[in-house]
Amino acid sequence: MFHDQLDIAPAPAKALFAAAEAAMRAIPPAFPLDATVAVNPFLGQTGEDLAQAAARLARVAGVRLTRDRQDYAAMIAAGEITAGDLAAALAACPHAAKPADVAALTALARQGQPAPQALPTIADLAARATGTDWPAIINRCVGLCAAGHFDRGQALWTPAPGSSAFTAWREWATHDLTPELAGLTGFCRHVANCPDTPGRALLRAAAALNLTAEAAVTTFHRLLIDLGGWAQHARWLQWRAELAGESDGTLADLLAIRLVWEEALLAHVPAVAPAWAEVLAAHARPVAPDADLVADTILQQAAEMAYQRGLDTVLRGAGAAAPQDRPVMQAAFCIDVRSEPFRRALESLDTGIGTLGFAGFFGLPVDHQPAASDLREARLPVLLPPLLRSGVPLAPVQDRQRRIAARSARALGRFRQAAVSSFAFVESAGPLYAVKLLRDALGLGRARGTDPAPAFTPALPADVKAATAAQVLKAMSLTQGHARLVLLIGHGATLHNNPHHSAYHCGACGGHQGDVSARLLAGLLNDPETRAGLPAHGVELPADTLFLAGLHDTVTDRVTLYTDGAGRDHEADIRRARDWLERAGRQVRLERATRLPGASAASLPARAYNWAEIRPEWGLAGCAAFVAAPRAVTASGDLKGRAFLHSYDWRSDRDFATLELILTAPVVVASWISLQYYGSAVAPALFGGGDKLIHNVTAGIGVVEGNGGMLRTGLPWQAVHDGERLAHAPLRLSVLVEAPRHAIAEVLARHDQVRALFDNGWLTLFALEHGRIAARWHRDTGWDEAGLARAA
Amino acid sequence: MPLSSLAPAVLLAAAVIALLRPGRRPKPIPAIAEGAALAALALCLAGATRFAFQGAGNDGPLLRLDVVNALVAPAVAFIGWVVTRYSRTYLDGAAREGRFHALMLTALGLVLLQVQAGSLALLVPALAAIGLVLRQLLLFFPDRAPARRAAAKFTLVWGAGDAALILATGLLWLAYGTMDIATIEAAARTAPLSPAAQGAAGLLVLAALLKTAAFPLHGWLTEVMEAPTPVSALLHAGIINSGGLLLIRLAWLVQASPGAMAALVMLGGFMALFGALVMLTQSAVKTALAWSTVAQMGFMLLQCGLGLWPVAMLHILAHSLYKAHAFLSSGGAIGAVQATRRPGPVATPGLGAVIRAFLLALALYGLAAVGFTLLAGPKSPQALALGLILVSGVAYLVAQGLADAAPRALTQRTLVASTAVTLSYFGLQALAVHAAGGTLPAPPVAGALEWALIGLTVTSFCAVAVAQALFPHWAHHPAAAGLRVHIANGFYLNAAFDRLIGGFRTVRS
Repeated sequence: MFHDQLDIAPAPAKALFAAAEAAMRAIPPAFPLDATVAVNPFLGQTGEDLAQAAARLARVAGVRLTRDRQDYAAMIAAGEITAGDLAAALAACPHAAKPADVAALTALARQGQPAPQALPTIADLAARATGTDWPAIINRCVGLCAAGHFDRGQALWTPAPGSSAFTAWREWATHDLTPELAGLTGFCRHVANCPDTPGRALLRAAAALNLTAEAAVTTFHRLLIDLGGWAQHARWLQWRAELAGESDGTLADLLAIRLVWEEALLAHVPAVAPAWAEVLAAHARPVAPDADLVADTILQQAAEMAYQRGLDTVLRGAGAAAPQDRPVMQAAFCIDVRSEPFRRALESLDTGIGTLGFAGFFGLPVDHQPAASDLREARLPVLLPPLLRSGVPLAPVQDRQRRIAARSARALGRFRQAAVSSFAFVESAGPLYAVKLLRDALGLGRARGTDPAPAFTPALPADVKAATAAQVLKAMSLTQGHARLVLLIGHGATLHNNPHHSAYHCGACGGHQGDVSARLLAGLLNDPETRAGLPAHGVELPADTLFLAGLHDTVTDRVTLYTDGAGRDHEADIRRARDWLERAGRQVRLERATRLPGASAASLPARAYNWAEIRPEWGLAGCAAFVAAPRAVTASGDLKGRAFLHSYDWRSDRDFATLELILTAPVVVASWISLQYYGSAVAPALFGGGDKLIHNVTAGIGVVEGNGGMLRTGLPWQAVHDGERLAHAPLRLSVLVEAPRHAIAEVLARHDQVRALFDNGWLTLFALEHGRIAARWHRDTGWDEAGLARAA
Repeated sequence: MPLSSLAPAVLLAAAVIALLRPGRRPKPIPAIAEGAALAALALCLAGATRFAFQGAGNDGPLLRLDVVNALVAPAVAFIGWVVTRYSRTYLDGAAREGRFHALMLTALGLVLLQVQAGSLALLVPALAAIGLVLRQLLLFFPDRAPARRAAAKFTLVWGAGDAALILATGLLWLAYGTMDIATIEAAARTAPLSPAAQGAAGLLVLAALLKTAAFPLHGWLTEVMEAPTPVSALLHAGIINSGGLLLIRLAWLVQASPGAMAALVMLGGFMALFGALVMLTQSAVKTALAWSTVAQMGFMLLQCGLGLWPVAMLHILAHSLYKAHAFLSSGGAIGAVQATRRPGPVATPGLGAVIRAFLLALALYGLAAVGFTLLAGPKSPQALALGLILVSGVAYLVAQGLADAAPRALTQRTLVASTAVTLSYFGLQALAVHAAGGTLPAPPVAGALEWALIGLTVTSFCAVAVAQALFPHWAHHPAAAGLRVHIANGFYLNAAFDRLIGGFRTVRS
C-alpha cells in the first residue's frame, strides 16, 4: 500500500493510511473475464451483518441490499412467507431499531422504503454548483486512462509497460487536455505539481479536503466505489499478489488518483466547502442501520426462513438406506447446482446407478498449460494456491504446427488492425465476411477436436500418485463399494460471442472447464502404480474398476466421455453409460426448458451456437442451499437445481479433516457464488455487470457499458433476470451438514473467518441428523433446536 | 416496377405491425421481422438479377435500378437480414422489444429506399427520416445520460447534413430544373458546370462528409455504442455509407468540380490516417471499431476524390460486410485477446526486415500490376497510387513474417497470405471496374493539382506505414507517451465539440 510512507509518517498520517487500508479492504476483487469466478461482493463486510453492511453501502454507494418491499409484501400476501417466518426473523434480529412486533413489520412491508442516497463527493457537489457533469468527466478521463493501463492486448498501442498505475496516470493526466476543455483550467499543472508517490499525494489531498481519520474510511470507500470495476480489478491484483505472498499497490494508486481529482475540484469550486464540511460530518458519524434498513433485512431473513422450511419438507422423505449391492455404475459430478438435476435424472434410470458430488477440480490443485500455449491456467478454487503442474503431451511437430497456425492468425489480425494495412485488409478480405456472416447467423461449423489426455508435468513419483489418489478418494467419501465403471464428470459451457463465457464454466476449476481436472484424476486412478500403492493408504480398489472422465456441457446437457486408456473389457459398460447419459440429458433438457424463456427441450442445444444468445442457460441462478451429506439424504427429493450437493459421510471421516476441508473450501466458494448472485440481483447498479445489449469489451479483462468509463463487474442483468422477473431469488445460502454438532462447532472455532460468515448471517448453518434438520447455528448460543421448531 | 423496390414496402409494413406490440416478448413480431428482412433480401436479389439481364433504367419518377444499387441493395438487405435475425435472440426480454424491431425495420426499409432512389425528391427525405429513426434507436436506453448526449450530437450533425443536402438540391433544381439523378448526371457529363451546379457539388461533398461522420465532427459515431449492438452493426454497415453512395450516384457532377474532388482527397486522406491512428490506442472493442469506421470512411472519400468511383463502391460493400460482422461478434473479444496471447510474444521486425518487407511487397505489387494491366488494360496514375498504399499495407504483413525471431513456417505462411491479399485486391478492383462499365466516370486526367494530391497521399500513407511497421521500436519511448495521450483522445476534437454544444453539462432526467 503506502509502504514508502508508513515508517516515517506522523500519527495523523498513519491514521489516514489505516483508513485507506480499511477502505481498500472493503472493495471486493473482480477476476478478469478470461477466467472469472464468482466473488462475494460483501467480502469486505463479512465482519458485520447485512443491516450494518446495508447502512455502509447506502452511505458510500447509494444502493439497497435487499429486494423491493413490495416483493416481500407480495410473498407475505401469497402465503409464501408466513407469520411464523416473520416472527422467527424478528426474534433473531439483534438490532434495537427493529419493529415492535409482526404486525408492525407486516405494515412496514406494505409501505415503500426510501431510496438510499450516497453521500456526495466533491465532484457531485461541484456538478450541482456549476452545472458541469464532473462525475461523468472523471469517468471518461480516468476510464480511458485505466483501460489503456490495464489493457492485456486489445489495443495495438498501449502505454509503456512497467510503471505503476499512479505514475502512468500522472504521465497521462499531465498531457490530457480534456479536463481543461471541460473547464477545469490548470488541471495538467495541478497533476504535474502533485507529489510523485501515491502516499504523499493522498496526504496532501486529505489535508486540502480537511479529512479526519474518523471521516476518512467511508470517504475513501465512497471514492473507490466511484471507480467502479477498475477498483475491483486493482483489488484483484492485490488479492493475487497476496496469494503468492507478495503485495500490490495499484488500488492505493487509484485511490490517490481519485483524491487528486477531488483536491483539484475543491480548488476549482471553493464555494462547495460548506456543503463538503457537512458531508464530512456525516462521514464521521458511525455507520448504523436505521429502522427501515433493519426492517428490510428482517423481511429478507423471513424470506430465507420460508425457503428453509420448504427445504425441510423436501428432506423429510429422505433416509432410505443406500443399496447394499455393488452399484452398476457410479458417477461423480461437480457440486455445482447444475449437476443436481442431471444426477437426479441419471439415478432415475436405474437403481444400480449411484452419483456423488465433489468440487469439480477433483481435489487436484493444478496449474495447467494448454496445448500450444504459453499461458498457464490455474484450474482450482481461487482460494487455494496451485500445488501441481500439468500439460498436454502433444507431439513437438503438432505443437509447432498449432503455434504457427495461431501466430499466422495473429499476424493477419494485426494486419487487420494496424494503421494503413487495415485499408488493404478491407478491400481484399472484406467480401469474405459475407461467408462469415452467413455461417454465424446460421450457427454453423463449430466442431472442435479433442486434445490428448493431459498429464502431470513432471510425472508424479509412484508414492505421490498413491498418496494423492488416496487423499482425493477419502475427501470424496469414495473409499469403498466401487462400481466397475466410475465416471468423473466435470462441467463447462459451450457458447459463442459471450464476454462472460467463463462465468458459466466451473468455479472450482478457476473459471475453466472441468475436463482437464477430471481427465487427470481418471488417469491417476487408472494408473497401475497408483493402484499398487493405494492399499498402503487404506483404500482398496477392485481390479475391474475403471475410472472414466467426462465433461457435462451445461448448455446442451450432453456429456462427452474421454475413453483414454479404456480397455476392451469395459466396452459394454461404456456403451451402456453413454446411453444412460444421453437419456438423462434429454430428461434434464425437458426440465430446464421450462425455466428458460422461449426455450423448448429440442432448441436448447442450439443456444450453444447462437452468437446472439444472451441467456444461453441460467448458470447458477437460483442457488440457495448447500448440503454436505450422503446422497441418500437428498436422493428422494427434487431440489430443483438450487442446491450444491457435496457427498460426505462423517462416519468414515475419522478426525473430521474432511469436514474441516468442506467447511473452509467448498462452503466458502459456494457462499461467494450465492452472494454474487444475491448482490447482482438486489444491487445491480453496484454489483451487477450491466446490460448485455450495450456491453463493450474493454482491455481484454472486462466490459463497460456503452461508450466506456467504468468497468462493470458481477453478473449481467440478463444472467439474473428473464425480462419479466428475477430468475435468481436472492437468498443467502442455507448450509446443511450431516455431522456431529460438536465436530462442526470445533471446526468453526478454529476458523474465525468462516465462523463470521455464519455468525453474521451471510450463511445459515443447519446440522442434519439421519437426513433431517436437527439444529440451527446461532451466533450467541451456538446450536439451537428451539429456534428451529419455530422456523419449521 | 422492379421487385427490389418492393423491399422497403415489405419492411415498412412489418414495422407498422411491430408497432402494434411495442413491449416485451411481442410474439410473433420477432419472427415477422426476420421474415420481412428475408423477403426484402429475396426481392433485392431479384432486382439485381433483373439488372444483370436488362441493364439500368428508371422505375417511375422516384426509383432507379443501376449498377450501384443492384450491388449495394442486396448487400444491405443481406446485412439487414443477419442483423434482424440476431436481434430476434439478442433483444429477447428487453422492455421495448417490439418497438426496437419496428425501428430497426423502418431504418432498414429507409436505407433500402435511399439506396434505390432515382430522384433527390426521394433520397433527401429518406435520409432525413433515417436520422429521426436512428435518433430513437440511440435513445433505446433513454435514462442513460451518455446516450442522450450522443443522440443530441448525432441529431445536430445529421441535421446539418440534411440542410446541406436540401440546399444542394435547390441549387441543382436551379441549374438543371430537375431532381432526377440520372438527368442531372447526364447533363453534368456533357456540359461544364454552371456556378449553381458548382455550388451544389460543394454542398454535396459537405453533406456527404457530415453523413459519413467526417473529421472534425466524427464524435457522434464514436459514441453510438450507447445503442444495442445490432444498431451499431446496421449503422456502420448500412447507414454510414449513405454519404459515400450519394457521391457515387452523382459522380459525374462531383468530378466536374476539381475543388470538390481536391477537398475529398485532402479531408478523406487525413481522416483515414487520423482514424487509423486513434484506433490503435483504443482499448474498448466497439470504440476501436467506430474509429476504424472513421478511417475507412475517410479512405472511401479519398477514393472518391481520386476519381476511383468503382473502387469506392467496392470499398463500401467490403467494409459493410466486414464491419457488420465485427460488431455482431464483438462479444468474443475476451477470447480473441486470449488467443493472441497464447502463442507467446510477437516477433518484432527490425529495420532490415522492414526494408526487405517493403521491397518484397513492392515486387509483389509490380508483378500483380503488370499481370492485371495485361489482363484488364492500363491503369490510371490514381489507381497506381492506391496500389502503392496497398503495398505499404501488405508490407506490414510481410514484415511480421520476416522478423528475425519468426520461424520459417510463419514466414512462408505470411508470404502466402500476402500474395493472396494482393491478388484478391487487384482481382476485386478489376471486377468492380468491369461491373461499373461506363456508368461511373474514369479518374480525371492528372494535372498539376491531381499530381500534387497523389504525391501527398502516397507519401503520407507510406510514411505512416513505415512508422507502423517500426512501431514496437518507438511506441513505448518516453517521448511518444504524450503523443499517445493526445491520439487516444482523438486530439480532443470531440471534447471541443462537447464544450461547444454543452456536452459536459449535467443531463436532467
